Amino acid sequence: MSSKDSLQGAALPLAGCRVIERSRTVAAAYAGRLLASMGATVVMVEPIEGSRLRTAPPLLDGTDHSALFAFLASGKRSLVCNLLSPEGQRTLARELQSADILIDDTPVRERVARTLDQDSVASRFQALVHVSVLPFGSSGPKADWDAEEVNLLHAGGEGFLLPNGLSSELFPDRPPLKIYGHFSQYQGGCMAALGALTAWWAVPEAGGQYVDVSAQDAVLAVGAFALQRLGDGSLEHRSTRRFRYGGVFEAQGGFVELLTLEDRQWTALVELLGRPVWTQHEALRDPLERSRRGDEINHHLREWMSRHDVDDIVQRAQQLGVPAAKYRTPAEIIRGEHERSRGLFAPLMLDESVQAEILVAPFQFRCTPLQARQRVPALGEMTAEPAE
Amino acid sequence: MTLAKAPLSGVRVADFTIHAAGPFCTQLLSQLGAECIKIESKTRPDAFRKPHAVYGRMTAATFDQVSVNKLSVRLNLKQPEAVVLAKRLVALSDVATESFRAGVMRRLGLGFDDLRAVKPDIILLSLSSSGQTGPDSHFAGYAPLFAAWGGLGTMTGYTDGPPVEMRHVMDHSAGAHAAVATLAALHQRRRTGGAQHIDLAAREVACAMIGDALIQASMGLTPVRPGNRHLSMAPHGVYPTRQPDRWLTLAVRNDAQWQALVRELDQPAGSSEPRFATADARLRHRDELDALLTEWLAVCDADVTAQRLQRAGVCAHVSWSMQDIARDPHLRARLATVEVSASDVPPRLAVGAPARFSKTDDVGIRRLTPALGQDEDYVFGELLGLSSAHRAELERREVIL
Repeated sequence: MSSKDSLQGAALPLAGCRVIERSRTVAAAYAGRLLASMGATVVMVEPIEGSRLRTAPPLLDGTDHSALFAFLASGKRSLVCNLLSPEGQRTLARELQSADILIDDTPVRERVARTLDQDSVASRFQALVHVSVLPFGSSGPKADWDAEEVNLLHAGGEGFLLPNGLSSELFPDRPPLKIYGHFSQYQGGCMAALGALTAWWAVPEAGGQYVDVSAQDAVLAVGAFALQRLGDGSLEHRSTRRFRYGGVFEAQGGFVELLTLEDRQWTALVELLGRPVWTQHEALRDPLERSRRGDEINHHLREWMSRHDVDDIVQRAQQLGVPAAKYRTPAEIIRGEHERSRGLFAPLMLDESVQAEILVAPFQFRCTPLQARQRVPALGEMTAEPAE
Repeated sequence: MTLAKAPLSGVRVADFTIHAAGPFCTQLLSQLGAECIKIESKTRPDAFRKPHAVYGRMTAATFDQVSVNKLSVRLNLKQPEAVVLAKRLVALSDVATESFRAGVMRRLGLGFDDLRAVKPDIILLSLSSSGQTGPDSHFAGYAPLFAAWGGLGTMTGYTDGPPVEMRHVMDHSAGAHAAVATLAALHQRRRTGGAQHIDLAAREVACAMIGDALIQASMGLTPVRPGNRHLSMAPHGVYPTRQPDRWLTLAVRNDAQWQALVRELDQPAGSSEPRFATADARLRHRDELDALLTEWLAVCDADVTAQRLQRAGVCAHVSWSMQDIARDPHLRARLATVEVSASDVPPRLAVGAPARFSKTDDVGIRRLTPALGQDEDYVFGELLGLSSAHRAELERREVIL
């Protein structure tokens, strides 16, 4: 870290915050990653063989590196520690002594042997915020259930509802489809970070405490609208959960997402289409009637979209005030003018010879910009350093 | 209103957000104990107060999850006097939140510098589709568009199909990240006394959900859209069972779990089959494996099988509808789902607090959807000290509307 970096580091939102992270799951690692991106010092306590996330796919072709681990571990430190040995437990205790937050995803039944159970941590570290993040949480009848991403997305209710719209129309008989990557785990991690910072906020009044986060709960929380719909009397299903009109359209050179919720947006859409005759029916002025005729509208939209270039459509639509977006590829995003101008990506040192780029953070702090330089810690890099 | 045992007790939020993403953020903060004052007007009511025809809802919602716990006041921000009152409210708050298009708050006289002038350590959260800066910052959008711009929509889908539209989870995911950033800014203010302007672009939250694929792309690699497949696990996916539309999700991490799976499914021949003996072999033969699993599971009860597999250490879960979620004792025990009711709201389930706290445990839903302007006696009367006569006059002149 250069002196310029450390000066900037001292001003970051979470400068001075010390976090110890034990992560086998994406959820715990993402919680730590969010805190690290905002300036917290995050130490991953890894087993001797390294976190299993170090070898998690996708791997970067031609290197030993996991793209997933690089994304999750960037900006953190690594300490190797065998928590089943007295020496390892002493090392952990020393780290926790000066820590503000512990994030842990050790299964509940394995915690006592590693001195990571709620009571043992609470009695020794009274000002520490102890965040547990597990697939189904650490309490409740299913606390000992295990899950990977595909299970969690469906345990939280969103998996059953996907895909919707065009994919569901094209392939009505296929199984439900998961969201790319680790969406549920990211939600769990985000809620764990929220729980951690919330409990840390209350430390002056309440001291340290235990926070129980579940990835399943988090999926349900972000999918709460479907539970609200159930309360309204509608049980949602992927085959019927679709916008009455709008959605995914194939255009020349790519796919467009189009969604008009307001009257003025419909009027602008009619303008975008060049006011064809079918749009001029008196009845279509009524938004409720438009919804009833959604299939007919989409039929016309599909035909029109298929004849026009995706970039032209989106550019003109946004000028006119029609909410439309291009389905962009990762390569388009990495090169994107908008992203470049916002400094969304930073150079990432994977090791001495491999350099890539990485998303700095999914939020920006305009008064104290987040740190641009990123690196992935080698396994146990701190072990060689003298204890403070 | 202070809640001694709520972790964010004493934090006040002046909330100008509407729709889903911003209100979900402030709803999380309010469930954790923050006092959240929602600012709307009759000419700019939040979406739940209106029909949502494109979604098929032909009337206003009687219960709206993302507005629970919030106090409601009316201010017609097109009137300069209303803007003055809004600033007085912000001056009494710790956090202000908004989800207008970039630049609108400034045009209203409520930009970051305006707010900092009345409250030197204000935290302003601006949540938008594309951020406060950059060539696309004027773009309007909703959840499916965030995911389209941010790449999550493209990376999600059947390998041979079109991209998939993300729904409210994308809004709410942006809101949850916004809540994390807001808490971090509160800690920063506690340490430094400084103001902060958080710029959260929902499409960049979608980018975080494909953070690994973006690293691949930065090195010139082309990430694949895997559908339900996993790059290192097989079997992995969503399989039909004996009951129609009752799917079982499965993820087998290693050989021991594979052996446990064939044992639990009473398919002993599977345990000695060389095509499936190792993880690499199973990945190579995963089409055959998926066909075989589909055949085996066709006679199985989804729920019984999921329980058996979990007991044997295999990651399995039924694909749950909201009906299953509503019936689940585990979620109820955790207060992840809670029953709510009010005079005009028959008992129904809602989503509770995002985490459980061992000490500051007074978190969750305290009151339901506020009527427009129902808390003006407290907010305009007690907090701002406006007399009844003054308020009546402001109503007549449509400053309060």
